[in-house]
Amino acid sequence: MQNKYFINIFFLLAVLLLLNACKEEEYAIPTTKDALQNDVIKRTLGPNLVGLNIEFAYAMAIPKTRGKLISAQVEASIEGAAGTYLENRSFYTNGSGQDVGVKIGEPSVTEGKITKVNFSTDTTASTLRYFYVVPEAARGQTVTFNFTANSSNGETVSYSMGPYTISKMDMKLDLTVRDGNASYISIEDMAVYNAADAAAKAGKIDLVYLHRTSPTSFAHALVSPAADKQYLPGITLPAGVNNSTKVSKTYGLRDQQLARLQYAIFIDDLDFQKLNIADAPNFAINMRAESGVWVETADGKYRAYIFVNSVNNTNKSAVISIKRYAL
Amino acid sequence: MKKYIKIIVICLLVPFVWIGCKKDYPIDEDGLLITDRSECYVSNFELLGSDFQTVRSKSAVIDTTAQTINVEVFFGTDLKNLYPQFSLVTDAKLDPKITGKVDFSDLSNPKIYTVISGNRKVKKPYTVNITVQK
Repeated sequence: MQNKYFINIFFLLAVLLLLNACKEEEYAIPTTKDALQNDVIKRTLGPNLVGLNIEFAYAMAIPKTRGKLISAQVEASIEGAAGTYLENRSFYTNGSGQDVGVKIGEPSVTEGKITKVNFSTDTTASTLRYFYVVPEAARGQTVTFNFTANSSNGETVSYSMGPYTISKMDMKLDLTVRDGNASYISIEDMAVYNAADAAAKAGKIDLVYLHRTSPTSFAHALVSPAADKQYLPGITLPAGVNNSTKVSKTYGLRDQQLARLQYAIFIDDLDFQKLNIADAPNFAINMRAESGVWVETADGKYRAYIFVNSVNNTNKSAVISIKRYAL
Repeated sequence: MKKYIKIIVICLLVPFVWIGCKKDYPIDEDGLLITDRSECYVSNFELLGSDFQTVRSKSAVIDTTAQTINVEVFFGTDLKNLYPQFSLVTDAKLDPKITGKVDFSDLSNPKIYTVISGNRKVKKPYTVNITVQK
């Protein structure tokens, strides 16, 4: 008797489920949440380097019936370097793909960790860009951001972003090296010197740039001062310039931040930590545009990646960019 | 009823017997198929630097009679960090295996690679002679 009931109940439930499953859900336009709302996206990709921007887009909106936007602010856990700002224009993209800014208030004011913009126009929706210039104090640390918006009806919303790790490495872009002139490269200083300056900073010189047309496979070269003399033809090194720097050639490793090309390849701290070029030679000849070298200095203090942005055979020069990591 | 069960069991057993009688394909210690081919030679040779770009100044000369590969590399090639690439005849394999960078810097003692034929019965050592362009 009981069994029969169970079976009946079970059957009924199954039929119900079947009916439910067959019902088609109709689309309905979502209703707006009746409150002040906000959202954030991070726009910059890749490692966060000291001195460079981290860019965010902060969107906020309130239904017209409830009030208007009054202010927006961003609080960073570490005070941003000079140049940190919150955009005072809200951008939209027009028909021809151009970003057009609409001014919503006076330029932002930064006090310590807080950057703030007060709205002076009657606005209910806005997207503001935030540019955080990574300060030296943040090197190797993590940074978090708290975005807050206020509306005229007293509502407040906020959105947290991060933590983001700030890389320990440094970067230097577009150093021009020229054969016989600015040809002495220092990884420690991330600079290029001529022979006279190199003599004064002998211990800091890690590589010599030179260009030779013979043999044809020589061309543009990055050679450490202690390399075999056949790789430094016609070069008289300034006194004391004698470091043996390890260099390992690569090709096609077009770091986005160094090359500024379309390739989304990023060299970060981890790459330098894991780099093992113990058996690499101390010279690299026949360097071409878009090639590069991994470098480890003789004193073991620095590892670096030197990218060749461009070469000029007529001028016997090249443009290089460096990422450097202190061990 | 019993009769039916018997028939079904027999039907199931027959494929087993059939599979059991089929000859296995022989494989060698690397899990590679041993075939009937006795050809044993290198068809192409490439040498890449640490940047995975060729370091050859011209095509490698492969002498299948003398069993030598003569290759000239660019001036300034880092001979300690090279990646050799052998193209072999069908089914053949190479010994020693190439697992990564190879040090070719000892020019007076050229490296020797042995090509082993598909039937694993013919072995031919090839000497890789490297000269550096002046």
